[in-house]
Amino acid sequence: MASSLIADPTSSSHNLYSFSPSDQTASDIRQHSFYPYTDNGGSTLGITGNDFAILAGDTRSTSGYSINSRYAPKVYRIGGEDETGEGAHIVLSLVGYAADGTALQERLNTVVKMYKYQHGKRMTVKACAQRLATILYSKRFFPYYVQAILAGLDEDGRGALYSYDPVGSYEREQCRAAGAAASLIMPFLDNQVNFKNQYMPGSGEGHDLHAKQAEPLPRQEVERLVKDAFTSATERHIEVGDGLQMLIVTAKGVEETFYPLKRD
Amino acid sequence: MVRSSGMLGEDGIHVDMNHLKTGEVNMAITFCDGVILGADSRTTTGAYIANRVTDKLTQVHDTIWCCRSGSAADTQAVADIVSYHLGLYGVMHEEGPTTQTAAGLFQELCYDNKDRLSAGMIIAGYDQRNGGNVYSIPLGGSLHKQPYAIGGSGSTYIYGYCDSYWKEGMSEEEGIGFVKGALREAIKWDGSSGGVIRLVVLTNKGAVRHLYLPDQGYKGPGKGA
Amino acid sequence: MPGFDFSNHNRNAALHAQGVPLPKATSTGTTIVGCIFDGGVVIAADTRATSGPIVADKNCEKLHYIAPQIWCAGAGTAADTEFTTALISSNLELHSLSTGRKPRVVTVMTMLKQHLFRYQGYIGAYLVVAGVDPTGVGLFTVHAHGSTDKLPYVTMGSGSLAAMAVFETQWKQKLTREEAIKLTSDAIQAGIFNDLGSGSNVDVCVITKDMTTMMRNYIKPNQREQKQKSYKFPRGTTAVLNEKIITKEEISKYVTVQELSSDDDVVVVEKMDIDQ
Repeated sequence: MASSLIADPTSSSHNLYSFSPSDQTASDIRQHSFYPYTDNGGSTLGITGNDFAILAGDTRSTSGYSINSRYAPKVYRIGGEDETGEGAHIVLSLVGYAADGTALQERLNTVVKMYKYQHGKRMTVKACAQRLATILYSKRFFPYYVQAILAGLDEDGRGALYSYDPVGSYEREQCRAAGAAASLIMPFLDNQVNFKNQYMPGSGEGHDLHAKQAEPLPRQEVERLVKDAFTSATERHIEVGDGLQMLIVTAKGVEETFYPLKRD
Repeated sequence: MVRSSGMLGEDGIHVDMNHLKTGEVNMAITFCDGVILGADSRTTTGAYIANRVTDKLTQVHDTIWCCRSGSAADTQAVADIVSYHLGLYGVMHEEGPTTQTAAGLFQELCYDNKDRLSAGMIIAGYDQRNGGNVYSIPLGGSLHKQPYAIGGSGSTYIYGYCDSYWKEGMSEEEGIGFVKGALREAIKWDGSSGGVIRLVVLTNKGAVRHLYLPDQGYKGPGKGA
Repeated sequence: MPGFDFSNHNRNAALHAQGVPLPKATSTGTTIVGCIFDGGVVIAADTRATSGPIVADKNCEKLHYIAPQIWCAGAGTAADTEFTTALISSNLELHSLSTGRKPRVVTVMTMLKQHLFRYQGYIGAYLVVAGVDPTGVGLFTVHAHGSTDKLPYVTMGSGSLAAMAVFETQWKQKLTREEAIKLTSDAIQAGIFNDLGSGSNVDVCVITKDMTTMMRNYIKPNQREQKQKSYKFPRGTTAVLNEKIITKEEISKYVTVQELSSDDDVVVVEKMDIDQ
């Protein structure tokens, strides 16, 4: 990241042993360093369907080999009417550095609320996605240390999902996994959501075999995939576990479900 | 498959927080009938107390003992080697080894390997020829015969105490009071010293262990415990 | 009243001035414990092996055989604990044969510490040695640098703090065999649930004068539940780019071919612990 403040050790022209008084001159430049970020682990995941979008995240917060909390949500409602998030139509997941996650969530939530108060209408998911990118890029040289996924329903009522890097590069996708176990979950999603490496049996010989075409999955199917993704990630990644929280956006609003995960 | 991260710094200097440190405070004194050794019982790994009832007073011959401070691994290895040589000396000669002989062995190991060891030793013993004697071997491997010696990080807190309360030729009771008082002070002020106080009294009658517990205000159970 | 230890300040300042970053405390993922009781000793371990944040083995064995009545629990670098205990076990057998005596726990402890000291901590084996010999019950810890401790209850590994918290609150003098097993397995469970480096099951080994009882997977508090979906692919899902048929007669030149009566007939050559 763009936050390495440590001096290049090779540039130091000191003697090997710096106890000799000769090299302790007043003009000696000393660079102090401070690293304000920590990785709080955990993983998030988002999948869209025809008329819904699901954002999920485990609820464990870690530092090193310790558990900070077994219930620290990583998924948030954006643009709700009160602190419970009632009435929200956009959801956001933030994984990485938890303190930046809370700060960013609060900031985006404020922006989306202000938009409604000033314009008298709800912010579209598309507009919110662009605004989030602007916020992230505004801290280009001291980034929010998070991987964000934003989800909701687009102008046509279809599930919409946007994924971000820490400095604001973003794109709309069908599905995305982020955080500690992203490298474990993403290949599973490629195979089970977009049917990568799956072919239609008996549709041809060798290279002529037809690939299985991806199509939006029904909600229940997606919920099952999310659960299996997280129980599997819990098995093989030490920073994932304790609980699985899901926010499901439909035309009716945002539903929340919780499912306990293994605690070891 | 279970990997610990690298043990070398960028320039190849060995930096390992997991090295066990022992002997945060220990001392030995001479008194009218022989010598008294004393030590706290704390062994640390960084901020964690790996052993709160450590025995840092190690026997290397019948009435020759040592106080270990510094790296637990290094001081145990040195004491084991000396113990082996003194054992051999004991069966090959008419007379047992003197404290001076033992101290000489310790010094040779500590001086020859000074670049590889972090071991601060105090050797104290009683022998028929010379009575009670105390030797100190600090980090570089030099050897100092002293009426009393203090060592470990906690010792910096008790130089003043020892200097003002030290008397030549104390009785056993006075000697125990002096050592215990000094160690209590070091434990009180030094965060890396603590636990119980262990003493060993070496006279022509042999070795007697003492134990003093913090929950009894370091008053008991005392002799023979 | 706390005090401060500034003994390394000058050295660290000198290193820092040269651009050397602050050292990272090394941590090893495991919880192992040991506890003596009236008439014997019990050791226990978790069964998770990790490489970085990834679980490499969900049910590995960390209790190693040294002699019939002496066992060892290992933390640290897996290969080092495995090979060090195997080496000492082998040498101990030879030593026992040449002396004509039963092996002793102190002998194991001494052989281990001398071996590890020689390698100055580069062999990353952190061990709990336990057993019963003609002199009585023995329980020791051996650190990678070669230092040893003798205590009535011990813990090691990254979960040692969680496990020690259990011992420091529940331990009492004079435990029965059952109480000791309960205490050690509770200590391991504290490590399993509170330390990310430890997980899965509890292995326990009880050694008394008369016999050794190895209880593999004594407690399994982390069983995986049934998956929501079946991930069985229809035959033909994977693209076949080319095909070559090797006849039974041809392959018989290289391997033994066994005829099965039907497609459903299954021959188990070697059993393995895998997900169903």
